[in-house]
Amino acid sequence: MVDRRRSSTARSGRWGARSLAALAGLFALFLGLPVLTLVGRALLDGSLGVAITTPAVLDALVLSLITTAISLVITVAFGLPFAFVLARRTFRGKSLLEAVVDLPIVLPPSVAGLALLLVFGRRGLLSAPFELLGISVPFTTIAVILAMTFVSAPFFIRSARNGIAGVDGDLEDAARVDGASERQLFRSITIPLASAALAAGLVMTWARSLGEFGATIMFAGNIQGRTQTLPLVVYSQFQSGDLDASIAAAAILVLAAFGVLVAVRVFHWGRIIDSRGLA
Amino acid sequence: MRSRLAVLIATLVVLLAACSSGAASPSVAPATPVASIPASAPASAAAVEVTVFGAASLKGVLDKVKAAYETAYTDTTVTVSTDSSSALEMQIEEGAPADVFLSADTTNPKKLVDGGLADGAATIFAGNKLTVIVPTVNPAGITTPADLAKPGVKVIAAGPEAPITKYATQLVGNLAKEAGYPADFAAKYAANVASQEDNVKAVVAKIELGEGDAGIVYVTDAKTSDKVTPIDVPDTANVPATYAGVVVKASRNAAAAKTFLDWFAGPGGQAILSEFGFLPPT
Repeated sequence: MVDRRRSSTARSGRWGARSLAALAGLFALFLGLPVLTLVGRALLDGSLGVAITTPAVLDALVLSLITTAISLVITVAFGLPFAFVLARRTFRGKSLLEAVVDLPIVLPPSVAGLALLLVFGRRGLLSAPFELLGISVPFTTIAVILAMTFVSAPFFIRSARNGIAGVDGDLEDAARVDGASERQLFRSITIPLASAALAAGLVMTWARSLGEFGATIMFAGNIQGRTQTLPLVVYSQFQSGDLDASIAAAAILVLAAFGVLVAVRVFHWGRIIDSRGLA
Repeated sequence: MRSRLAVLIATLVVLLAACSSGAASPSVAPATPVASIPASAPASAAAVEVTVFGAASLKGVLDKVKAAYETAYTDTTVTVSTDSSSALEMQIEEGAPADVFLSADTTNPKKLVDGGLADGAATIFAGNKLTVIVPTVNPAGITTPADLAKPGVKVIAAGPEAPITKYATQLVGNLAKEAGYPADFAAKYAANVASQEDNVKAVVAKIELGEGDAGIVYVTDAKTSDKVTPIDVPDTANVPATYAGVVVKASRNAAAAKTFLDWFAGPGGQAILSEFGFLPPT
């Protein structure tokens, strides 16, 4: 009696484990198959090599690399001090400010593009001063960079804020006691200790910029060599029927995204080692 | 700290400036960034860039025109951006840096002229006609435009603002009056529309990929694709499309833009247009 019950639960347990594995396997297939097929098609039928040298894809690759680099510099220049303030200071309205910073993360990109156009567009909020300066922002490379920075900076600020907030205050106090200036403190204690979080934030921000599509196409348009970044070329080439070029550009983006995930893991792993070393 | 921040911001400003002047300079690829581009760069270089916003149906023509024009005018670089004429018109209204606008209709150039955004009047440069296309395997077995109303046919159309949609709507209305077409042809056609694409080239692409059974496009689109088969439309019902171009008022290279539009509407452009099956302007 007891044996039978045990064997039946064991059997049902085995069935449960099997169906669980089957479900997990099916879902993994659902998530993995499209991307694998894409990369497989790009690599196997040899179209990647040809398509990657299409002027549209090549221009987009160069443009994407340059614009994401500039966007990253802007993000660090303004985002790092900002993250420091958010991590260390308390002031009225701070949580509201944090919500505003996080907003672009959850905002649909098309909404971001429209909002940017309403501020920087020819008929936008800031049109008068820009016109005085003779600068037209929308549908230029500058618009691409602004769109990227707008949607991606929050990832860095978030990560940097958490990283800086996680630095042990006692360590900084100890350095202060030893006569370190605030500047030395920031450079030699805070930044190195938060470096894993900063690096992870940088990588995520770069990935988000590289993948930016909706805000770019609305705010910066889709002009080859000027505003047509890699995600836009995937769309455009598909729309105009050049599937090979579209797949080539998409494959580059998949490989970049995969690289980012690996990098984030490495940084995360580095942080664990760091904290163990400290403990 | 402060001085370092100042340096950082200065670097940024230089980068952005390099970036924007890179956009205005003749080299299309912004591969000329950080290097210390003097502020006078555009003046010292005699070269000019003409940015052409063209109707999607002109894509093949404009690729060829770019090569031909740059050979004829070695100091000019032509940058081409194609989409539905209505989308491009909207972008120009929003300040997109176009020098010349080539539309698949006369309505969109007129909008720019009426809005004070055009330099001079619109020039009619070509005509076109409509046809139905199906994938070469023709999965829905379509043999006549009347089949567009058969139940279950997946018709791919463009968005309501695109010129092709306006012409196609007229065509469907005309067909409904033809002998052998049901009175509710237009309603049945509309019910079969499975997708509204951004522009006519996207309609062609979906048919080429076999994702749709049929679509109404320009005769020139059918001619340039070997993955689709045209199904002729009766001449009595066909709708003439009229293409017009205009120089954008905000152009920084108005003279070069005018030269380009004149050349395009003249024998140089006409030769390429007729090669692609466009009709001469009427």
